[in-house]
Amino acid sequence: MRSLLRSAANRIAILTALTLALATFAIGLAVYFAVNSAFLRELDNVIQQGNVSLLASYADDGLDGLTESIGERERSASNTLAFAVFGRDGRKMAGALDTPMPSAGWQRILFHDTAEGIDPGRALVTTLPDGSRLVVAADLEPVESIAKSILTVFSVGFVAMLVIATAFALVLGWYLKRRLGRIATGSRAFASGDFTGRAEVGRHGDEFDELAASLNAMLDRITALVRNLQQVTSDLSHDMRTPLSHLRSHFERLRDAPDDTRGEMIEVAIEKCDELLSLFAAMLRISELEHADLKRHFGLLDLCELVRELSEAHEPLAEDSGHALIAIPDDKPVLIHGDRELLAQAFINLIQNALRHTAPSSRIELGATYRDGHPTMFVRDNGIGIPYQDRQRVLDRFVRLEAARSTPGNGLGLSLVKAIAEAHGARLCLRDAQPGLEARIEFAKEPG
Amino acid sequence: MRILLAEDDIDTANFVERGLTELGHNVLVARNGEDALHLGLTENFDLIILDRMMPVLNGLDVIRRLRAAGIEQPAIMLTALAQIEARVQGLDAGADDYLTKPFAFSELSARVKALARRSSPQHAVTRLVVGPIEMDLLARDVRRNAVDVILQPKEFRLLEELMRHPGEFVTRTMLLERVWDFHFDPQTKIVETHMSRLRSKLNEGGLEDWIETRRGVGYRMRAG
Repeated sequence: MRSLLRSAANRIAILTALTLALATFAIGLAVYFAVNSAFLRELDNVIQQGNVSLLASYADDGLDGLTESIGERERSASNTLAFAVFGRDGRKMAGALDTPMPSAGWQRILFHDTAEGIDPGRALVTTLPDGSRLVVAADLEPVESIAKSILTVFSVGFVAMLVIATAFALVLGWYLKRRLGRIATGSRAFASGDFTGRAEVGRHGDEFDELAASLNAMLDRITALVRNLQQVTSDLSHDMRTPLSHLRSHFERLRDAPDDTRGEMIEVAIEKCDELLSLFAAMLRISELEHADLKRHFGLLDLCELVRELSEAHEPLAEDSGHALIAIPDDKPVLIHGDRELLAQAFINLIQNALRHTAPSSRIELGATYRDGHPTMFVRDNGIGIPYQDRQRVLDRFVRLEAARSTPGNGLGLSLVKAIAEAHGARLCLRDAQPGLEARIEFAKEPG
Repeated sequence: MRILLAEDDIDTANFVERGLTELGHNVLVARNGEDALHLGLTENFDLIILDRMMPVLNGLDVIRRLRAAGIEQPAIMLTALAQIEARVQGLDAGADDYLTKPFAFSELSARVKALARRSSPQHAVTRLVVGPIEMDLLARDVRRNAVDVILQPKEFRLLEELMRHPGEFVTRTMLLERVWDFHFDPQTKIVETHMSRLRSKLNEGGLEDWIETRRGVGYRMRAG
């Protein structure tokens, strides 16, 4: 029993069955009492009427008239009442009712029925002016037998309801358990480490299938996050190991270095530490952008102005590496709501990528414009570009294409740009500029 | 200068205290926010350096209460939080500058100097002269030995930052903040490349270099 009750499905089922059965039982009791009291009231009316008309006979013709009236009534075929008149001494003087003398008022009496033996009855006993008592009674047997059959019907109903509802409830419980069990099997497999474990989605499209589908969506998301975390952890440890081991060997050399070169070497060590710190800073920045709501610090700004400002800032840098950096802002302002510094950072990362990954004498264009009504900023180069199959992947953290392994960078640049774009409700897409690469950030259309 | 340093991390506190003392400042260290508030309210300081996260009372609350009590001394907030929100909050609470941990001591000392100057009255300067270099802030032109040097706007701003306080170092981060209004590290050499342009323009024809670079610290104009 206890193991049966441990299942919520069974508990619901049994509770439902019991509730239904108890409801049947309660309805039965209510009907029984209602019917019983209605019949009794009706019976009392009949007795009262009989009593009134007999008292009228007594008032007109005294005891003799009364006796005569009783006799007439007892002989009548439609008569349902029984009568008796008792003298002051308690002796029965008239009537066929066979019962000892009751006291006055409404009474429940027992009388002797010639056909059925001792029967219960309802009686109205009136003391007449001469001291004798008139008893008008009716047999309770018919009323009680109706009530009894009502009770019987409902008792049978109660038991039937209990049996049917229990059976139905157990079937329902079994069904619920089976459907939920299929969902649980998948998630249990997942919990025990099988990332391919999924809940079975049936063909009905019902609540259970929806539950299974949404659970699977959750498991998919968890899988993606875990994979990403694993990737990031292993990449991070790799990306940390290399500079840390460089730093370590640098310190070893520093330990044995002649005094006059130490100052310089310490500066190099500090720079190496700063590089590591900036790697952490970039990671924290990305996770801040992904989680914090920065929108309330946003203001209205013109992307064209930012383009002019940043191209001016980077022009000498581009020139030093032999690149041509060209700003092509739109004629009219391209206005968006955003954070100037974050967008500057995004632009700078894209410019830096273009500078790093294209050959000297390549051309790098940066600009802002409206594209199909969307404010858009872009950085375009005519270098080797990124193969189509890698374009999505390079946006992930720490992903560096083999071709770029030897260039400086931590593989976080584009992830940061993507995070900045998304914090602005914008989309970063990488496209083939034929030749070269175009990185484009498309903002949502500004209302008004 | 008399400086109040509120910092609960003992290593950082010692590091900063030692550095500032070596520079000749008189440093009083508070280990938590409540002590810092008490000291700030009862004693006079020229400058306050506050850690943002401290036990009992955090740096934001301390600076807010000091400002509410009418204490207007310049304050620098130190924090391990590099977040965009954190900087805005610090400045909103009443700090004058904001420095993210870990920082180089040279960065802090440059900012301490810059802030200390701000508290002394400044008269509007229209002309700066360092050695042979003259800068007219109104006409926005620069001359060396009375010969015009044509500078780009950002190069002009860089030179102006250096010429305002010859002999004092200005860090790369400070230049990024003041000249470009960037409060993040763009991880590119924009300061360096602009500085080298500025130098080559100033020293054209093999003239003596008046700008000094110190690795890990920053740049300064040689004092007259």
